[in-house]
This record gives sequence, structure tokens and C-alpha cells, in this order.
Amino acid sequence: MFPRCPVGGGPVGAVVSGVRRPVRAFGLLLALATATAACGDSPAEVASVQGAAASVDLGAFDGTVRIGAALSETGKFAVEGKDSRQGYDTWARWVNEDYGGIRIAGGRYAAEIVYYDDESDADTAANLVQRLIDTDEVDFLLGPYSSGLTTGTSAIAEANDVIMVEGNGTSDTMFERGFQNLFLVATVAGDYTRSAIEALAARGAVTAVIAHEDTTFPTAVAVGARRHLEAAGIEVLAIETYPKDIQDVSAIMTKFRNLDPDVFLGGGHYNDAVLFVNAADELGFEPDAMLITVGPSNPRLVDQLDDDVDGVLGPTQWEATMAYEGDWFGSAADYAAYYQRLWGEPPVYQAASATAAALALHLAIESAGSTDTDAVRRALRSLQADTFYGPIAFDERGVNVAKPMGTIQVQDGRILVVAPDAAAVAGLVYPRG
Amino acid sequence: MSYFAQALINGIALGGMYTILVLGFSVIWGVMGVINLAHGEFVMVGAYLAWMASDFWDVDPFVSAPAVFGVMVLFGYLVQRVLVNRVINRSALVSLLVMFGVSIILQSIMKIAFSADFRLANTDLDGAWRLTDRLTIPVTRFWVLVVAVGVTAALSLFLGRSRLGKSIRAAAQNREAARIVGVDISKVYAVTFALCIGLTGVAGALVSPLLAVQPFQGPPLTLKAFAITAVAGLGSVRGALGGAMVLGLVEAMLALYVDRIGTNLAVVASFVLLVAALVLRPQGIFKGLRHVDATST
Amino acid sequence: MSAQAGGALRGGRLLRVVGGLVGLVVLVVLAVLPLLSGTSNATLLTLTLMLTSIGVAVNWNLTGGFTGYVDFGHAVWFGIGAYATAILISLQPNGPQVGWHPVPAIVVGALVAGVLAAAIGRATMRLKGPYFSIAMLGTFVAVREIVRVWSPLTGGGVGLTLPPYLNRQLFYYVELALVVLLVSFTWWLRRTRFGAALVAIREDEIGAETRGIDTTRLKTAIFSFAGLSTGLFGALWAYQNTFVDPDIAFVEVRTIDAVMGTMLGGLGTVAGPVLGAAALYWLREVLWANLLDYHLLTQGVLLIVVVLFVPRGLVGLVDRRGASLAEVWGWKGRRRGGGAADRLTEEGLGDSAAAGPAGGDRDGPAQARAGSEPGSGAQGETAAGGDAETEALS
Repeated sequence: MFPRCPVGGGPVGAVVSGVRRPVRAFGLLLALATATAACGDSPAEVASVQGAAASVDLGAFDGTVRIGAALSETGKFAVEGKDSRQGYDTWARWVNEDYGGIRIAGGRYAAEIVYYDDESDADTAANLVQRLIDTDEVDFLLGPYSSGLTTGTSAIAEANDVIMVEGNGTSDTMFERGFQNLFLVATVAGDYTRSAIEALAARGAVTAVIAHEDTTFPTAVAVGARRHLEAAGIEVLAIETYPKDIQDVSAIMTKFRNLDPDVFLGGGHYNDAVLFVNAADELGFEPDAMLITVGPSNPRLVDQLDDDVDGVLGPTQWEATMAYEGDWFGSAADYAAYYQRLWGEPPVYQAASATAAALALHLAIESAGSTDTDAVRRALRSLQADTFYGPIAFDERGVNVAKPMGTIQVQDGRILVVAPDAAAVAGLVYPRG
Repeated sequence: MSYFAQALINGIALGGMYTILVLGFSVIWGVMGVINLAHGEFVMVGAYLAWMASDFWDVDPFVSAPAVFGVMVLFGYLVQRVLVNRVINRSALVSLLVMFGVSIILQSIMKIAFSADFRLANTDLDGAWRLTDRLTIPVTRFWVLVVAVGVTAALSLFLGRSRLGKSIRAAAQNREAARIVGVDISKVYAVTFALCIGLTGVAGALVSPLLAVQPFQGPPLTLKAFAITAVAGLGSVRGALGGAMVLGLVEAMLALYVDRIGTNLAVVASFVLLVAALVLRPQGIFKGLRHVDATST
Repeated sequence: MSAQAGGALRGGRLLRVVGGLVGLVVLVVLAVLPLLSGTSNATLLTLTLMLTSIGVAVNWNLTGGFTGYVDFGHAVWFGIGAYATAILISLQPNGPQVGWHPVPAIVVGALVAGVLAAAIGRATMRLKGPYFSIAMLGTFVAVREIVRVWSPLTGGGVGLTLPPYLNRQLFYYVELALVVLLVSFTWWLRRTRFGAALVAIREDEIGAETRGIDTTRLKTAIFSFAGLSTGLFGALWAYQNTFVDPDIAFVEVRTIDAVMGTMLGGLGTVAGPVLGAAALYWLREVLWANLLDYHLLTQGVLLIVVVLFVPRGLVGLVDRRGASLAEVWGWKGRRRGGGAADRLTEEGLGDSAAAGPAGGDRDGPAQARAGSEPGSGAQGETAAGGDAETEALS
């Protein structure tokens, strides 16, 4: 009734073509009159049109596996949404061109991803996932960006019995709903700070304070952090919350300065990292370690804050320097190189998580030998694979518990993995000095 | 003790910031009767200008502020001529909706031009003066406060002493009477709006090292300006200073003395204050440029 | 209806009949749509969301359009309805499901919104014009932050997850029925004394009071009803969405859409909010979804254009000869130059209605302009604040 054209789309088309959707005003008017789908070109047609520009001949395959994803092209998650999409497309490109298609029962199947723009909006995302299932009749779903959007859309996937594999919605609560069809390749939010806390405890930290944004993901991170801090014998002196889009954290930092803790643990979004580092500097709050949930692994933060950010710690799902390796894409560094060739920029971990999600689905389909939902679900549950992203093995909640979370530290303007030991390329500097 | 002293310092610093942020809004409302719902967006535009100066040419926001003022005066003049003039003689609601449209447009233009990424300008006036280990004065905020007090005094003098200032006050109190005695109302409105948008731009420039510069930073600032103005009296320059200080102190005390959710409560404070001030004392707490009674039409 | 409006009235009646027929056909199509084999759940969900949007706009119009109290925080009732229902259904944040059955939870959720609307409305509806608008905007933000802070009950910023129950067809029919009921109610309301009194409040509140209308009770009543009804849509939405948090339950855009949809369709009319909200939803889904970043920009431009140049909305556009359609569907009152929205804002909320003593008027200049119209006697509150000199800068 209300046509909304898939974004780019196609098996590999999106890699070749731009991400921008054309404005089809005329077609849309027509659509209003006829109340039929106005994207005169159905997703399949989009695929063939744009696929022609790519070097893949769809005719060479025995069929297609259709996968759907609603991602944020616009709105507040536009940046991360783009990274996720590039991650999915990296897999699609690789599987169709380099790997030769998904191998199912002796045949080779092309991968096709149908994308929509969810505008970072919960209603829109729900609507689009429903559309992917009903109208586009996708076999599987890949996750949107953010915990909030994943919470809503995974319920739709569950109700329609469609599997959703994702890498960028990590809040613990989503996996406490008993869903059978939701799988997360990334580390769950509650474990984000675990390796960092263990490393800090080993270096003698005994007190900590926590500040977190009062939204789904940061709260999940903070709740987990508190658990890990207490388990590591570090006393939590205070916990402070603050609302979304906070503009001033000086009160929190004043309070913390008075408590004089060893470890400051905080964060929610990239912007908060900037505010915390600045306010600490402004108020002369100097804990021995600053562990900030989101931001430090992003090179932009270093550009923006220069020396002030030196010594700051941050969790990371994945870094190209990590010593992971697998039969697909090769090592983490190989993956990063492949990604760089495609997109002209190095992969951030959101992109790697997206690629890993698609890869996990791909491996499960192959081991199931079909695209049947029950068979693939069983295959996902028993999947055990070493990949460029780290080991992947799901527990009964659907969470990948095999891969530990990494920790990076900014040292002289460089972002270096310092924990866990297996992945570390540099020693932890503590106190940060 | 030092904790309370620090709370006072934080509160006064915050109040200084709010003063400079609210002046333009208050005077436009007081003089022209226009509730500038795009106020926060003008702050945002000024902040982006200062950020650009800082990022591209390495100019300190405190140095670029006069240039930002100039640019924003022109911009304000333009908006006044093209839009505000059309709605000035219509009800307050029409101008409310039109300015709301302006705010959406400015947000989306900045979003398209600069993306939604957060930015901060760099200033050399940063860091802290350490009085003791537990007592510090944030340097940037201190200088913002100094500028705010200076601007308040200058504006007060301008409105009180200069010929143009007197015309502005006359127009605010009784437009028809002012016209009869020969005040050029349309000129007064154009000057007032342009001047206030210039001031608002300066506010944006000054807070660009403190508040994240981003396309959607405006609406909370507009609401805060509204809350302060409603309490302080429309167009009252000194009232704005007082109201801003009260809000700054309330927020700082709440944030420091309430555990765990103090910062959340501080954010709620201004909105609760706004609704309470309107409902409990609709005629305003202080007298401003024009009399107000929110319960009469 | 005055004599000179007679010709226009005939045209209005014809238009009304045609409009009614078209509406009936659309309704029948909507009613049988889910039974057709080609209709997917996705289509139903889209339509359900559109019906939600229409419902909220129709409710907004009850206060914004009829009584002239322009509510900039109307989405607060949506969020409260959603949250009350979600709390009742889950009862234990993120814990095992021990909560209420959804049907009573949704009903009570709507009632909670209604009761709170009555309480808050009683206080804020004393305010006039932009003061009321901004007070409601402040209420909206304050409630959202309170919900965020009150975590034992509301789950805080993390929100609440509900057991997924996604019968799209059921939700679709329920919301369709609600919208039909609501529109019929509005249509009926326009013909009652109550409705006439509401319009009288908009046209001249103090005059209405002097004629013995208990304006406070009436406007609070309609405000509470609108709050309850929007709360009901919120409650249904929460259950469908299976998840609420402060930032998705309390969204400014819901208010903006209601205001814009109603203005676009025609303020204070029965059909206006329906047409406007549907058109807006369609624009958003079809045009703006393909315009990426530019949709906010076009929305802002559209708002300004509508306010400045099409103040009477789509309904006003249809009938160019006079205000007949607008009169039949919304404007029974005086007709005197200017667009309908203009008159609403100028007279209902604006400056001329209370042409009291100069000092008592909020708006000096406008007061002077409207001075030619005999004042309706500014009494009570107005006079209380009355003689204040506008003291120059303190």
C-alpha cells in the first residue's frame, strides 16, 4: 500500500552502486492510485539491474538465499548504520565473488541482501522488518543497529519464526526473553568491561566509580561492570546516572573527585567520552584509570582530544590487530585489508561484527544443508567456528560466549589492544599518568 | 565545606552560561512579543561558526565571537525581513509555529552540512584554577561568566541610556503610543531581532568549547530560555541574570547533593520550574519589559 | 447560519454528501482489506501505524482545534498510556511475566492517561495562548524525565519489554474501529451544545463565561477525554511494539505530526485531522522515505508554508468559494476575512478576545490594534494582574 523502495540492494549490487535511493516521485503517485507496490522494480529486479554492473553473473548460481536487513541510513544511528551495512555487504561481496556462493547440498547459492532504511526509528524498523518477512519473503534476517531497534524487531522475527543473526544489539535484556530465533555474534553488553576490569584488578586497583547514561545499552554495560568489579574485589564507591544527550557532567566529576577512586568507569555514547575527558581535565579529577564504554576505540576521539585522551581505556569487540584467524577471510588483518580495498577505509568493530553475523548465518546454512528455519537454528546452536572475528559458539540464549571482549588503551595517540593477554599487542599503562 | 563551595562555583558558572544563552530570547519576546522557538537553533548556528573557526583556522572562540556576532546579526536581519515581519502582526501562536518551522529547517540544514557528529571547539582558556585540591574554578566557564556579566551590563546601558534603546523600550511598552511619538517601529523591530540573534550567536560561540556542538542541541536550550524568561520577566535584562543564576545554582545543588540520579534531576529541574512558574504565578515573578499574565489572552 | 452563506451552504451540503460517500467507500475498503489474500501483515502494520497517527491528530484537534488550546505536549498522553499499560503487563521489570492480562491493562493504561490529563489540564488550562502551549511542552519533557528517573516502577532508561503478541489483524481492526468511533464522536460533538460551547471558548472565552458557560469544566473535560483517547492509542502501541523506553514512548514527533496533520487538513474541522494526518503519513512513508536527509527540511518548509499561506488546510482548499465547507465542518462562527486558522489564532487565543484595559493585556501593540472591538470585559484573573505598569528595565 505504501511503497518504500529497498535501499540499493541486490547480492552485490550495493557494493558497486551507491547507497542512495532514487526518488521515484512519479512512480509513487502512480502507486497511490493503484495501491500497489510502487517500487516498480521489485528488490529482485533491483538486484539484477545493479548486479549487471558487478562482475557476478547470477546465472552461474543454483539459486539465491534471500536475507533482509533494516539498517539506519538516516537519523541518529546513520553513521553506525552505514558501518553495519558495509560489514554485511563485505560478506555478500566475498561470498558471491571470492567464495563462489553459499554451498547447500552440492549446489551453490548466491547471497542477496535486501536493505531498508529504518531512519533510526523503532516504529519504522518494526514496520520494515515485517515487510521484509511478508512482502520480500526473505529467508533470514540480519540485525539492525542498536539495542533499542533490535529489541523491537527481534520480537517480530520471533513471532514470525524467522531467524535473526546480529552483531550490533548487545543489551542483555534481549536475551532474557527466551527467544529461539535471535543470535548475537558479539559479546553481550554486560561483559563489555570484563577484560579491562580483570587487568586493572591484577595491577592493584581497589576502588572504582561508575557513571552511565540511563538508557538500555549503557545501563546493561554498567550493571555488568558492577558485577565484574565486585567479583574482582574492587569496591564500587558510587554509581551516577545521567540522561541521554547530557551536556554537562561537571557535577558528576566533582562528586567523583571527592571520592578519589582508582578507576573511573563511564559512558554511553561517543559524545559522553568527550565530555568526561574534558570535565575531568577541567575539574582536576585524575583517577589512575579511565575506562570509557564508547569512544576510545574510535580514532576520531584521539584527533579531537589530543593528549587529554592519552591513557584512556575502552572496550572493543574487535580490532584488526587481534590474533584471530579462520578459514573464511583469513586473519583479522586479512579481513581488514579486504574491507579497506572495498570501502577505502579501515573497518570499525561495528562493521566487523556485522560481517561476522552474516558469516555465522552462512556457516549455519552450509552445515544445515538447507535454508529450513529449524535446521538452520539447530546448526546455529551447535556452531563452533574460529573466524577472523574470534571464536563463535552460541549459548542457549543465543549469545556468543566464546569470544572475549578486548580492551584498548590510547598510548601516545595510538589505539593499542592491552587485554585480554591473548590479543594484547602492548602492556597496560597503569596508573595512566 | 569545600564541597558546598564547589557547588556554588559550579552553579554560578552554570548561571553565567545560562545568562548569555537567555538574553536574546528574553529581549525578543519582551520587545516584539515573538516567542522564538528557534532560539536554540540560533545558538547552535553560532556554535558551529565558532567551531569552524576553531577547527579550520585555529581561531579561539573567544576571539571569533565578535565575528560570529557580525554574521549572526546579518542572519537575524535576514530572518526578520523574510519571515518574522510577516507574522509580527498576527497572533503569538502563528509566530510560534513559524519559528518552530525555522528550527526544524536549521536543524536539518546543519545535519546535512555537518552530519550529526558531536564537535567541540578548542580554546586556550581551558583547564582549571586550583584553589585547593578539592576546590577548582573551571577557566572556560569563568570567562564565559565574565563576558555574560559584561554583555548584560552593556545591554542594560544600551536599553536604558541610548536613544535607540529608549525607542526599543517604548515600542515594547506600547507600540501605538511609541509610533505616535515618532518611533519607527519596523526599524526598532529589525534592530532588536538582529541584535538579539547576534547576541544569541555569541552565546553559541562561547559555549562551543563546553557543550557538544551538534544539529539537535537546540530544543533543550530553548526550553531552558523559556523557563528562565518566564520566571525572570520578559525582556528584563537583569532579571535574566538573576533567573539564570537561580537555575544554575538549583541544578548544581541537585546534581551534587542527590546521589545517583542527581544529574537526571537537574535536567528535570528547569522543566518542572517552567511549568510550576507558569501555573503558580502566571503573572511572572519579576517585572519585565512588558507585563505578562499567562492566564489572560 | 447567516443568509448570505446560504448559497455556499448548498455547495457545502453537496461536498459533504460527496465527502461522506468517499469516506464510506474508503471505510468499506479498509474493513475488507485484511480479508483479501494479497494483504500482508506488513501492509496491516503500516495501516495500523497510520491509524494511530490519525487517532492522535483527531484527539489533538479536540483541544487544539475546537477549544483553541494548542497543546505542544500532547504526545505525553500517548507515552503515559503506553507506560501504564507496559508496567501493568510486565509488573516486574524484565522479570518473569506475572503481570495483568493485556485487555484490562490497556483499558487501565488509557484511564491513567485520562486521569492525569484531568489533573494536569486543570492546572495548565488556566494558562492562555502560547503560555499553555509551552507549559504543555514543559510537561511533556518533565514527564519523560520523571519516567526515566523513576526506575523501580518504569524500568528507567532501560525501559520494559513485553511478551510479544503480534496479531496484526486484531490490532488493525481495533484501531480502525477506534478511529471510526472517534471521528463519529467528533462529528456528533460538533452538533451538540457541548461542542458549541467548546467553540465558544475558542472564539471568546471570557464572553462565554459571562454567558454562564462553565468554561473550566468543559475545557478540562474535553482535554481529559483527548488525553484518555490518545493514551488508549499509546497503550495499544506499547503492546504491539513489545518494548517501551522513555525515548521511544515519548517522542516529540508524535505531537509535531498531530499539529501538522491537523493544520494541513484544517484546524477545528471533523475531516481535517483525518485527511491531514493520512496525507502526512503518506508523504512520510513514500516521499520522505526516499528523500533521506531532506525530509526534515521539507517538513519544516511545509509547516511554514501551511501556516502562512494555507491556514485553513486542505479542507479549506477544496472549497474556494467561501467558508462553507469549513463552516459546516468546523466553523460555525463569524466569518470575517482571513483564514480559519488565522481567525482561530487571532480570536480564540490571540489578542483581540480579551480586549481589556491596556495594562491588563499581555500584548500591548495587539491590544491597541484590536481596541476598536468592544472589549468583553476583562475580569477576574486579567484584572487581578491589571494595573501593573510595564516597568522598564529593573
